[in-house]
Amino acid sequence: MIVDILLLTLERFLGYLPVLLVAIVAAKVLSLYMSEDRIGVFLKARTLKKRNIVEASLLGLISPGPLAAYLPLLKVLQSGGLPLSIVATFITSQTLVGPIRAFLEVDVFGPVFFAFRVVASFIIAIGIGMCFQIFSKQITPKVNNSRQR
Amino acid sequence: MKKKVAYVLVDSLKEMKTIIPAFFIATLIGVILEIYLPIEIAYAVLRGNPFLSILIATIIGIILPIPRYATYPIAFSLFQKGASIGVVFALISGEVIIGSPDRDVMEFKYFGWKAFTSRLVLCTAFIVVGGFVAEVLL
Repeated sequence: MIVDILLLTLERFLGYLPVLLVAIVAAKVLSLYMSEDRIGVFLKARTLKKRNIVEASLLGLISPGPLAAYLPLLKVLQSGGLPLSIVATFITSQTLVGPIRAFLEVDVFGPVFFAFRVVASFIIAIGIGMCFQIFSKQITPKVNNSRQR
Repeated sequence: MKKKVAYVLVDSLKEMKTIIPAFFIATLIGVILEIYLPIEIAYAVLRGNPFLSILIATIIGIILPIPRYATYPIAFSLFQKGASIGVVFALISGEVIIGSPDRDVMEFKYFGWKAFTSRLVLCTAFIVVGGFVAEVLL
């Protein structure tokens, strides 16, 4: 039984492997052109306008790499006046979709499911950003209130 | 150009060192679930009340302590076992918060507990709704 499990695992794993390898390399190539600094510069230019939540959601969707790499930068930007709603939108969409996930998702569940998830993720992130905007007074840490205004 | 290629190759190899073992373990978990999870339980939980199964899948996705990309083999196994597309959507999307301790601690520390919990609650609610929409549309 254990041998069967391992064989099935290996068979399935080898099936995923080419896609996984392409996904990892593609994510790295993308990170050459979409570095954390570039995203920081783009986010820094955002103001309190509602449409910026849409832009932050879009930016999160196409940002490669782990979220942890962006968090220190987001903290600095937030301390400098970037609204928490934009931070929450970016964090949410960044974690919902990513280059590695895109390749795996299309391979495992097909392009229609992937397209649905991209659209849904985009909308979910915007929704979360809007909720943060509505409840910003309650959610934003008090230390940063004066800076946010 | 050479530098860029070298960067891509070296960094990809580094990433593969962490991703590939995690992915193999996730595939193994998926296969074990597929073989050992009794079909009645799978059907009762994953194919029963859609609201309950999507909610359960969202919560499992949120608390599952594995990397985001590693959810796919598990989701695929559950799909093979009879999970609906809404459940798969909820499970995969649930990985949006909690699951990576370093990331969560940083988020908690940087933006405060109110922002973290608000995002947790909002993500759960939105993903459940998204699961329903997936169920209806796909």
